[in-house]
Amino acid sequence: MFPVFKAQLRKDIRKPLTVILFIVASIVASLIFGGSTEQEETTVAIFSSGSDAKEIEEKWEGLLNDIESVNFVITDEEKAREDVVEGRRDVAIHVMENDYRLVTSSHMPQVQMIEQQVHEVFTKEAQLTAAAGNQSTEQFRDEMEDYMNNPPFQVQTLSLQNENLLKHDMGLQLLFGFTLFAAMFIIGFKVNGITADKVSGIWDRMILSSVSKTSMYSGHLIYSFCIGFFQMFIVLLVFQYLIGYDLGNFSMILSIAAVYTLSMVSLAMLLTGILRTPEQFNMVFSSVIPMIPIVSGIYMPPGTISNSILLFIADLFPLTHGVEAMIEVALYDASWNDIALPIALMLLIGVVCMGVGVNMVERRKG
Amino acid sequence: MLETINLSKNFKGKKAVDEVDIYLDEGESVGLLGPNGAGKSTTISIISSLLKPSSGDVKLDGKSIIKNPAEIRKILGVVPQEIALYEELTAYENLKFFGEIYKVKKNILEERIRDVLEIVGLKERQKDLVKTFSGGMKRRVNIAAALLHHPKILILDEPTVGIDPQSRNHILETVRKLNEEQETTILYTSHYMEEVEQLCNRVYIMDHGKVIASGSKSELLSILSSEDTIQVQLSETSDQLIEKIKSFDHVRQVDETDEGIRIISKKGSNILSGLVLAAEKEGIQVTHYQMETPSLEDVFLHLTGKTLRD
Repeated sequence: MFPVFKAQLRKDIRKPLTVILFIVASIVASLIFGGSTEQEETTVAIFSSGSDAKEIEEKWEGLLNDIESVNFVITDEEKAREDVVEGRRDVAIHVMENDYRLVTSSHMPQVQMIEQQVHEVFTKEAQLTAAAGNQSTEQFRDEMEDYMNNPPFQVQTLSLQNENLLKHDMGLQLLFGFTLFAAMFIIGFKVNGITADKVSGIWDRMILSSVSKTSMYSGHLIYSFCIGFFQMFIVLLVFQYLIGYDLGNFSMILSIAAVYTLSMVSLAMLLTGILRTPEQFNMVFSSVIPMIPIVSGIYMPPGTISNSILLFIADLFPLTHGVEAMIEVALYDASWNDIALPIALMLLIGVVCMGVGVNMVERRKG
Repeated sequence: MLETINLSKNFKGKKAVDEVDIYLDEGESVGLLGPNGAGKSTTISIISSLLKPSSGDVKLDGKSIIKNPAEIRKILGVVPQEIALYEELTAYENLKFFGEIYKVKKNILEERIRDVLEIVGLKERQKDLVKTFSGGMKRRVNIAAALLHHPKILILDEPTVGIDPQSRNHILETVRKLNEEQETTILYTSHYMEEVEQLCNRVYIMDHGKVIASGSKSELLSILSSEDTIQVQLSETSDQLIEKIKSFDHVRQVDETDEGIRIISKKGSNILSGLVLAAEKEGIQVTHYQMETPSLEDVFLHLTGKTLRD
């Protein structure tokens, strides 16, 4: 096993660029996309029509902008509609005296979220107006706010772990997503070394030598595991200790990365069994792998993908489970029990793919 | 020492190897000759235990190696047709890798690497990456990798394909030395007749998966002892002339060559006068006429009706 492992290592020491490139790429991608997600504030255009349009717009602009993370801006009606039609914005809001209309061409969850928030503001305002009756609404609002500042009792929302509910951190999700995604490539290309050895005749030479088949596979697969895990370890280390991200229990995150790597090595082994040449593998792997994070919803907020077929496909790949487990640990301080399911699923994928993959490689002639 | 008994191998219903019987005595150099697709590579894959036969057996010193391939693997060196090396590593690193997988002891591995590099004449280039080598040099490292564990039997599968004449001569000389000086038993496959003639004590000729002739060079040539091979150069050739010569008594075969025709006729038959007359009638001049000593190429042509490179 060691000679095979050492030969693969020597090759990478001689040409380390690919590994370095993937490490740098996953750090840069996480910083760019993760960072932009944190700072981004959604801007929504509002407009009104009629003679008292300006007055209505100003009234609702003030009330709506109490919503965090969404910035409502008074915009010319024509421009607001044009922006939606041409896809520059997902949504604009036509505000009226006591009502509103959403102008949108999208069913994205973000639009639904904005609609819900706007609906709440309008409902609250309608309740205030109704409650105020003949009294001035503004005066009643002040009275109510004073009252709410000293309520008779308070309700605190807690998670199951008895801690405050945390806001989902998209930056962290992207960090884990990109790190695991980049590792998929490195692992795949390294496992592909088995097919390359078969095609070049080195595999046959090894069969004729004193090395057992188990050692031949182990040498390749353990090396692929080590290089994939090393890549993730470096990226996670940089984010935890140099860039200052809080990844939670670091040893648990590394353990999840190790299980993920194991599972991914097996998946690559399955593809090695299906595809006959290294070139075929590179072509198929490079085409299929970039689709997995999209199907798994790694680039999107949780719940964005609701199609059951896509969810099923995503479940077949370890990426979904790896990111899920890491998020649970980093954001919600999950215990081993809490992440037992994604870990078990990754191990299951690992066992099944490895068994089928090795079998297929062995059955293939020549 | 090593023998195959009724060895057959089918691929998808097609017989790649058909009841092949060959044997190798200790220290001899045996050639396996045949055109591409004759079944040579499949035969040596079975002999070296990489493939299982559909039927038949391979025996080493009387013991079957089909179920227990470890016995032959210990004493066998195989030089595959392809360059089975890591091109990103140096010649030395490749040899170290192959030495390690053959479990050559650490204290003697360095010495063995030096020895085999010396044998293939690449000692000066051992620290260079294999990918920077010429085709001939790569083939020499390919051979060196098979010698590290001191194999008693060396199987070479077309080791000179696609290389320059200088490297080819070097490889042939290396194989000859291994056989003569180190008494390594050689099984050499090729479709280059002259290589086999130069290197091997005995030859098996294969075609369509079968051994169609075997024996020492002189035994094979004796197949043609009842025939003369005549090389005729003509000012031009014509189908009518060839047909006319074919109709002569004692003429067994006429083939068109680059410069004229080659005639195989019954030994001692004088066809010169008839040939000149027939050519004159067609307005063709006979510029050169030569009786040739038959070669293995002629034997192959005689047996299969085609040349080795067809």
